[in-house]
Amino acid sequence: MIAAPGQTVALVVFGASALGFGVAVFRTKSMVRSALALLGSMSAVGGLFLALETEFLGVLQLMMMATEMTIMAIFMVMFMMDPGGLGQMDMTHQKRAAVTAGVVGGLIAVALSALPSWAAVVVAAPAPSVQLHDLGIELMSRSMLIFETAGLAILVAMIVATTIALAEKQP
Amino acid sequence: MSPLVLALLVGAGLFGIGLYGALSQTNLVMIMMGIELMLGGALVNLVAFWRYLHPDVYSGQVFVLVVMTAMAVEMAVGFAVGIARFRARGSVEMEEAVDLKG
Repeated sequence: MIAAPGQTVALVVFGASALGFGVAVFRTKSMVRSALALLGSMSAVGGLFLALETEFLGVLQLMMMATEMTIMAIFMVMFMMDPGGLGQMDMTHQKRAAVTAGVVGGLIAVALSALPSWAAVVVAAPAPSVQLHDLGIELMSRSMLIFETAGLAILVAMIVATTIALAEKQP
Repeated sequence: MSPLVLALLVGAGLFGIGLYGALSQTNLVMIMMGIELMLGGALVNLVAFWRYLHPDVYSGQVFVLVVMTAMAVEMAVGFAVGIARFRARGSVEMEEAVDLKG
């Protein structure tokens, strides 16, 4: 079974955009451009989710990443000596080992994706309204403990982050 | 090519790019960007598995929500550590953080 041609085209377009922007993150000397490229990559991932007919997760991804990358760009400007990359500083180290690890890790992931004989793909996804309803039921029944644990993890992270970031009081 | 394999290849590519970034960058925020890309690759895989293999089982979508939570937590704690480090040493360069080595 194969998916509709339109869906495959959308997968290719959004997938190529996600990968292209992903490469651009580490190709530019400007940290702000890196943050914007990551925003482009994560937005393309959101578009990929929409192409895969998971509307809720797609919109969630787009909203989360737009906010997250804006915050990241602000932190870039705050922390960096040269956020615009005008000084052409080299911000990399152990480049050969990193390239090797990236290529080997990526190739292993590609092999694990392409080599197994996956089951036949399901052509039709549930309608968006059905997905939302069923996901809500799942979150409030079988997966409630997981969902509550995720919420608790965010609460703990907020408290930890605030505590770490608070300035120490001068005696 | 199956659309499932196509989506998995995108996930694999994002993972490889993220791994390179996390290992090669010297700046804390750039390292976090690499980790975000790796988690993005994992998200693509999870959504593809849910969509093409088991669209009737919603634990796949719940898993995606958990990974998104991990991304948010990583960002929050990472930036907090960055602020603390910047306040103490005036830099978030990892090359200058050898004093953190145990």
